[in-house]
Amino acid sequence: MFKRSVVYVLCFAVLNLGSPMMANAAMIGTLQAVESSTRAQDLATVNAALAQDQVRQQFAALGVDPAQIDSRVAALTDSELRSLAGQMSGMPAGGDALAVIGIVFIVLLILELTGVIDIFKKA
Amino acid sequence: MAAGNLVRAVACGLVFLLAGCATRGPLLPQLTSETVPPRVELTTTPFFPQRDYQCGPAALATVLAASGVTVDPDALVPEVYLPGRQGSLQPELVAAARGRGRVPYILPPRAEVLVAQVAAGTPVLVMQKLGAGPWPGWHYAVLVGYDATADRVLLRSGTDERLELSAARFLTTWERAGRWAMVTLRPGQMPAAPDLARFMEAAAGLEAVGRLEEAGGAYEAAAREWPDEALPHLGLANLAYARGDLQGAERGFHAAIQIAPADVAARNNRAEVLLQLGCPASARKEIEAAQALAGDGPLAGAVAASASKIAADRRSDGKGCPTN
Repeated sequence: MFKRSVVYVLCFAVLNLGSPMMANAAMIGTLQAVESSTRAQDLATVNAALAQDQVRQQFAALGVDPAQIDSRVAALTDSELRSLAGQMSGMPAGGDALAVIGIVFIVLLILELTGVIDIFKKA
Repeated sequence: MAAGNLVRAVACGLVFLLAGCATRGPLLPQLTSETVPPRVELTTTPFFPQRDYQCGPAALATVLAASGVTVDPDALVPEVYLPGRQGSLQPELVAAARGRGRVPYILPPRAEVLVAQVAAGTPVLVMQKLGAGPWPGWHYAVLVGYDATADRVLLRSGTDERLELSAARFLTTWERAGRWAMVTLRPGQMPAAPDLARFMEAAAGLEAVGRLEEAGGAYEAAAREWPDEALPHLGLANLAYARGDLQGAERGFHAAIQIAPADVAARNNRAEVLLQLGCPASARKEIEAAQALAGDGPLAGAVAASASKIAADRRSDGKGCPTN
């Protein structure tokens, strides 16, 4: 009898875990309220779950460690997920300045060595 | 000979492109006013030299350290680095700052706002576009100083602990990267020249990913900074609701509505809370007002969902319900 009541209590607790208050009520989150003043589309019609799936797939394709994908997706807000889902490939990825500078240096060096330009000589 | 001249012209063009075509007059004197000192260098901002392609983690670790979060850039790599792009995307830097309990405030895209942050002691994470064409050279660096007299800026950049650039050259690379800049604020800290919508978006992002305590600190600072705005009250009331404090939430939404009677979100949320407090008649009245204000705007769907739920409860108010 005691065991059974423990099981019931645990079942109730586990069921509650999956239903935080914000999820079951029709509350408008603060971020949604802020975005409603800056964006025109009906926020409720944009499918956040779909955007999440697309971002997950793109992360996997871009070589993100599978163990990290869930936490990286969870760290993003719905509007960040939507913008990443739509335009990740076109988004600038800040990486290395050295590669660019290196290429330009090599071009200039070749021009210098072939005598086309003369910029490395001391005046 | 003609071919030589052509190559020479192209080479010079390339040099000018990378130098940012510095043909404008002195810039920083225009961006600094009497309220901002002519020369600032944030010498205590730490430096993390980047390893291959990882200027994103290095720059983020730099601004986080300046806001009191000690984190090794290597620990940020699995959170923000995209191997397939050999770089980091802006939304992921924002998300990683939130993950460390900091408010990722995206600055309004104006050079004088960048300068104002540094003058206030806050280093700024900036994006630059250093290359062109097939080598765009997207890069993250941290602005840590400027000198209006010399018209130069100071950056922690790549493997340079103290990169000095002309203001014109730096601002051109920043403009070409879409004028993107971010500061990571401690919850409760305000940026220089704060913008309500941008600040609230940053703070509400913390709420959206479940960092309620940090969101609360930022909302309280916003309520002090903008006492006549409804949004900070809405945020605080949403947090009260998340804590299960229905009475506190009702008072907060009510305060927001007093400030902004046309606030759809505050009315929708107050209606929902009134229903849960056993005041269905008051809830119906409030949600009807929200529906009328929502029209077919961006919150219409959310309000309609609340309205159909509240309309199903035809009881009258219990004891202790509000009279307005």
